[in-house]
Amino acid sequence: MAQNVVRKPPLDWLAGGLLLGLVQVAAIGLAKPLGVSTQFVVADTKLLDAAAPDYVTAHKLISSDKYRKLGYGWWLDIGIIVGAAVAALATRRWRVQTSTVWWSETRGPGAASRMVACFIGGMFILLGARLAHGCTSGQFASGWAQLTLAAVPFTITLFGFAMLTAMIVYPKTPRIES
Amino acid sequence: MPTELLGFIIGCMFGMSLFLAGLAEPDKIVGTLRLKDFHVMRVIAVFVLVGMLGTWILEMAGAANLDVKPAAVVSVLIGGALLGIGFGLTGYCPGTGLACAAAGRLDAAVAVVGMLVGALLYIVTYPAVAAPLDELANYGKVMLPEVTGIPRAVWVIVLCAIGAVVLALTSRKRTVAA
Repeated sequence: MAQNVVRKPPLDWLAGGLLLGLVQVAAIGLAKPLGVSTQFVVADTKLLDAAAPDYVTAHKLISSDKYRKLGYGWWLDIGIIVGAAVAALATRRWRVQTSTVWWSETRGPGAASRMVACFIGGMFILLGARLAHGCTSGQFASGWAQLTLAAVPFTITLFGFAMLTAMIVYPKTPRIES
Repeated sequence: MPTELLGFIIGCMFGMSLFLAGLAEPDKIVGTLRLKDFHVMRVIAVFVLVGMLGTWILEMAGAANLDVKPAAVVSVLIGGALLGIGFGLTGYCPGTGLACAAAGRLDAAVAVVGMLVGALLYIVTYPAVAAPLDELANYGKVMLPEVTGIPRAVWVIVLCAIGAVVLALTSRKRTVAA
């Protein structure tokens, strides 16, 4: 089982940041800026299309082709899943885990509280991302790459509320491998 | 190349980079939000600055495929806050949630299910909530250089300087043992 130490990631900050930055530049040069969260609405639209097609065709938003076709963005999200799995396996870090080091430092080793928090957190994450027209990829990273006006208010509330929430939820600091 | 294949390839590279750089690592995310572990902050700084420089160069070459999100300030502020709460609670965002689930984290898989429910909430409430919110203080799909009249070159140079200061300030206490 996991000893309570935060492990060092495979790459250092400079190599990791350069790699991510180059992926962004490749995406903007070849297709469009990185973005992830729209496809969660697409996935739901596909399910609704099967369960309640009349609801979909009458809906103000999801009746449009953008949400009913599995295109570039859908395959990008599938790629994220495949790429991360390959990277985890290649670095021998693929491991079934149910909680995190920071979470168990404050709340003990059980996973039930972590699962509940992740389900509720996930709802906030996607509802927020769609209201904001983008997530940490599409609105923050791609927003600043392009220097959009929308990135400014987004960055303020995103990191303001994230830091405040983390301060309340994770009061105890675990050991961090340097 | 078909756009689906291009999306899949860029997604694979993005997913791999997220994992290798340590962004698909909720403990590293929370460490940065708590200002105890600056690895992620430094990765993000490089990621954003490289993206910004690359976009600037692509734009001068006439080869940038931009996709600017609307500056609907009220929606963006509220969405950013909700996303921030979920991000600070879990250490996940949509892209890293998918990547972490793919690397064996079951709590991330639960967060992804929560995200699908969040997307459904967004769809169901869209006509009553998101659509009218989008009308408030919406400045359109604009970028900082055109809004401020300050050239992109100046923005890029100033933000790179700020990034350099952040990197310098966080270089000594990259990690703090508890």
